[in-house]
Amino acid sequence: MLGLKLGKMDLQSPVIMMSGIFSYGEADLGYLDYSTIGAVVTKTITLEPRQGNPQPRIWEAGSGMLNSIGLQNPGIKDFVSHGIPSLMDRGVRTIVSISGQDSGEILSMMESLSALGVETVEINLSCPNVHRDRPMISQSARLTGQLLRDVKREFGQVFVIAKLSPNVTDISEIAIAAEEGGADGLSMINTVRGLCVDIEGRRIIEGGYSGPPVKPVGLRAVYDVYRKVRVPIIGIGGIEKGRDALEYILAGAYAVGVGSGFFSNPFLTSEICGELKDYMVKNNFRRVTDISGMLNEKNYKTGR
Amino acid sequence: MEARNLKITGLTELSAGHYLVELENSFSTMPLPGQFVHIKVPPFFLRRPFSIAGGDAEKIRVLFRVAGEGTRALSCMEPGDELNVIGPLGTPFPVREEWKKAFIVAGGTGAAPLLFLSSRLLSEGREALFFYGAREAGHIMFRLLPPGVDFIFTTQDGSYGEKGLVTGPFEKMLRDGLLPDVIYAGGPHGLLKNVAGLSASYRVPAFVTLENRMACGTGLCYGCVTKIRSGDGWDYRRVCKDGPVFDAADIEWEES
Ligand SMILES: Cc1cc2nc3c(=O)[nH]c(=O)nc-3n(C[C@H](O)[C@H](O)[C@H](O)COP(=O)(O)OP(=O)(O)OC[C@H]3O[C@@H](n4cnc5c(N)ncnc54)[C@H](O)[C@@H]3O)c2cc1C
Ligand SMILES: Cc1cc2nc3c(=O)[nH]c(=O)nc-3n(C[C@H](O)[C@H](O)[C@H](O)COP(=O)(O)O)c2cc1C
Ligand code: FES
Repeated sequence: MLGLKLGKMDLQSPVIMMSGIFSYGEADLGYLDYSTIGAVVTKTITLEPRQGNPQPRIWEAGSGMLNSIGLQNPGIKDFVSHGIPSLMDRGVRTIVSISGQDSGEILSMMESLSALGVETVEINLSCPNVHRDRPMISQSARLTGQLLRDVKREFGQVFVIAKLSPNVTDISEIAIAAEEGGADGLSMINTVRGLCVDIEGRRIIEGGYSGPPVKPVGLRAVYDVYRKVRVPIIGIGGIEKGRDALEYILAGAYAVGVGSGFFSNPFLTSEICGELKDYMVKNNFRRVTDISGMLNEKNYKTGR
Repeated sequence: MEARNLKITGLTELSAGHYLVELENSFSTMPLPGQFVHIKVPPFFLRRPFSIAGGDAEKIRVLFRVAGEGTRALSCMEPGDELNVIGPLGTPFPVREEWKKAFIVAGGTGAAPLLFLSSRLLSEGREALFFYGAREAGHIMFRLLPPGVDFIFTTQDGSYGEKGLVTGPFEKMLRDGLLPDVIYAGGPHGLLKNVAGLSASYRVPAFVTLENRMACGTGLCYGCVTKIRSGDGWDYRRVCKDGPVFDAADIEWEES
């Protein structure tokens, strides 16, 4: 009922643990029902090791949070030398997230990963916490398209997902460029650039904003892009309960990504699966992919 | 590590702004001194981490100070209410067979896990001398002092015990040559850094518990990292997973 295909991978559930939320998949959480998770996207890996950003890295803001981890990671060489943590014995697939400054860096990482047989890669083109003075790749349609072309030319057999930033004038433009460049899927949204002011310390805290308040931003992006591309969209942003995932799928998401909501609610993936099943039974849907984009637009627009 | 809804069985104001909350322990594991719980306090998004101040197979006790909105909301909850808790988390204080005599140094609510540790040490037939510092008499958790443990108190305003910082009498004791086998400490950064320096000078191993802002609390997000010495430099390690208890000699202390 909840199973689906993403590229060549069979996923047991449309719920994906997004990058930065589940480390590299090595953790064994006793309370987590792994059968409710389709895939885990690893924390983003870069070519060279990165120590990441100084403290504070976490800041509660309204009913969401800012993070500024800064892609702390051991670098691709160390990552592949340990072998990619596999959750296959629990039916959970692994998607490796990578990020780089340009095609050269990404191609070099793709080479190491495809040598290991990695079938699905997410390219994080949208981290707000590195090089804050420079634009992210996914802020340029031209750079996004070019990077995907470079990657897909050499690694046509790898399923490549482009992860996009909401911090653009028109995300559809970027999504179309990614698809034209050869992206096989899109993940959206990454965190929203934000800032907090600590009045005691009289300092600012910069980071990416996530959690329930960004859900309308993510839904807007998914809804807009769904109408313009054919590739599957992983809908992300502010999912904290089962209903939120359903909203994303109805707006056009093919699968959903769980982010910081998992920190708040450890039973989130089970709740999403439960709610999806109930909704499907009640509304006579056989497969979860049948719900994707199934809005009754007429009613929606006329309010009747 | 488990995630469960635990019932509040007691919530007591110990002194102005300081509370003891008692939870039904429906975890299958026994909490160890040094470990913490990560508590969802509605309506706040991020969980709040608290050291386990005591507990057994039936109960988990947490001692907290109202420090902001989340702890204020927690102080307004009532027995019978349920809290979603992830725990027990993190590394406990290490205890070795040959460490017969311990010095414990604590400041403020940093005392919480150490009160738990001291009663554990005592029950194992070890000796513990507890240096307990607070801003004022009202901040000392008299009702939670385990019987049988020797305490030396200090307050910054002199309202109880010796006036001044807790590291004063602690350092004096070391200077007088009364060296323990091990030192445990918890509290503000400055206190811990000071204890680390003294432990190095007197060549006594020391273990301290650190605090940092946390998101996951379970080692997944790398939000809570602190600098831990490694080779000629340092690496960022997770307070929630690699700690919160660290060997004081491994910590790359920041300016404070
Ligand atoms: C491992 C660990 C053990 C702790 N044990 C205790 C304890 O036994 N008793 C006790 O009173 N306090 C303890 N603290 C501190 C306690 O977590 C904070 O006082 C509490 O999170 C403040 O929440 P608030 O909403 O009242 O404050 P706010 O300032 O409104 O909180 C805003 C955000 O900052 C975070 N935050 C603020 N101060 C701290 C801090 N010192 N450490 C971590 N996060 C913070 C909050 O969790 C929240 O996400 C511990 C912290 C850690 C990391
Ligand atoms: C602590 C933290 C770390 C993150 N790290 C990454 C990362 O390394 N790579 C990435 O592509 N996205 C990262 N993200 C973004 C999430 O994958 C997700 O896109 C975002 O948080 C929005 O979803 P949410 O509102 O459900 O959290 C991170 C988010 C958080 C909260
Ligand atoms: S709080 Fe997430 S790794 Fe420590």
